[in-house]
Amino acid sequence: MLKVIKPGVFSSIQDLGRHGHRHLGVSQSGVLDPIALKAGNALLGNKETAACIEITVGLAEFEFTKPCNFAITGGNLNAKLNSKALYSGWRYHAKAGDIIKFASHPEFLRAYLCVENGFDVPAVMNSRSTDCQAKFGGFEGNALQKGDCIPFSETLVPCSELAIKPSDYTNVVRVLKGPHCDILPEGYLEQLLSQTWTVSELSNRMGVRLERSSLLTHQKSIDSQGVHPGVIQLPPTGTPIVLLNDCQTTGGYPIIATVIRADLRHFSQLAPTKPCRFELVDFDVAKTALQKQLQEITRFKIAKQQLENKK
Amino acid sequence: MTCVQCYQLSEQALVLSIDGLITQEVRQKIFALAQTANNTNDFFDIVPANSSITFYLNDFTRTDYWLEQLITLWEKSEPEAFTPKTHLIDTFYGGEYGPDLNEVSELTGLSQRQVIELHASKEYQVGFLGFLPGFGYLESLPEKLRLPRKATPRAHVPALSVAIAESLTAIYPSISPGGWHLIGRCEQPLFDPHADSPSLLAPGDIVRFIPKEPS
Repeated sequence: MLKVIKPGVFSSIQDLGRHGHRHLGVSQSGVLDPIALKAGNALLGNKETAACIEITVGLAEFEFTKPCNFAITGGNLNAKLNSKALYSGWRYHAKAGDIIKFASHPEFLRAYLCVENGFDVPAVMNSRSTDCQAKFGGFEGNALQKGDCIPFSETLVPCSELAIKPSDYTNVVRVLKGPHCDILPEGYLEQLLSQTWTVSELSNRMGVRLERSSLLTHQKSIDSQGVHPGVIQLPPTGTPIVLLNDCQTTGGYPIIATVIRADLRHFSQLAPTKPCRFELVDFDVAKTALQKQLQEITRFKIAKQQLENKK
Repeated sequence: MTCVQCYQLSEQALVLSIDGLITQEVRQKIFALAQTANNTNDFFDIVPANSSITFYLNDFTRTDYWLEQLITLWEKSEPEAFTPKTHLIDTFYGGEYGPDLNEVSELTGLSQRQVIELHASKEYQVGFLGFLPGFGYLESLPEKLRLPRKATPRAHVPALSVAIAESLTAIYPSISPGGWHLIGRCEQPLFDPHADSPSLLAPGDIVRFIPKEPS
């Protein structure tokens, strides 16, 4: 078990998300950085869909009550195993009684803690992700609380230390043109693209709200339609909202742009007050970026396999 | 006449959007097309809404094929091909179950009995689900019952409250904040993530409210 000593600002069990139930109003949920989870799971030889803990901000502390191979990925939140410094993108072994602590970092917002075989919570609607709004999935439907004990299977054979280095995070995010630019006042897409935005304090796993001095106000609404993580809605107040994994499944605000899938992970690290910019690309660029990203993980898995075959 | 276009919203999401008057026939065509597309197994989710359907593709290299094919399928889509499921929902109106019934009666100029009879007289169709898991937007409320949302939303709407706002009625599947007028409550669970079929309502379903006295 992993015992929660301090849950920190916000920690929850997540996997690659809950799919196929949007038409019933069920959110996707899941990790905000799927590449970080895939990297962690690849390091440990897990299935891609194994569940991890997503740690927001940090200030969290957990105790391994059983020996365990684990990996930390995502942002560097200055983690330590007992007194030993840990680095993002590496796998390690913990003994029973070892304590893992996440401090915090001014440049990073979220880290991922993966264990060999994944955290063993029941799958609900085909996913172990916590739906924090509807309160199901994950560990008893909630963000982690002090005293929670999350089950996992112990690993008696310690792994060697090994690392993977997914590409760096950035705050320049590529977007596709949205379908409702024509009903919005002229030049709004250009204004979205030409200026630097600031992440608002009102941001969370449902969405990142963006602010700046001159806002893109309007009076338009659209007939509600399906929305998903990555869609950038422009409500009449003029503060764009980048929808993230816990977003609702339908929305009636005009869609000004959509973040390409390969770049959505960068929002996992953009804390309130951080600047952010957008760059317009087309679907070909979006597809190539996604394919390239998936190949990085595949290449790592092949390299790891070859390394292990040599032993 | 309606004008239909199909566009790509993201790598995997295609939207069929219908411009013009959305008649009952158009609505049935929407649900019929959603069903046809669902049978192809090329999509991991299909989200019908009032005047659009969003299709989530399994394989993002198939977008060009489907952008064309969805228009073809729309043209071939027959309203009769979709047979909705009907749900009869026993409802306790007024009193502690519908704390806004009195206010709705005052604002509409109808007696409480008339509000109940009118609300229970119609068949409603689930236009789409959203806001909360299992929350169906039911269309469409008789003209006389249409009111704007409450000026101040409630922080806690009890689960299974039957509510109205604008041209819609709905049942809150779980406790949540909400700005609709609460006129009653039902007992039938609407959403259980652990059940084989988690949501009672699905897009296109028909709902009828049956007034009951609490025993």
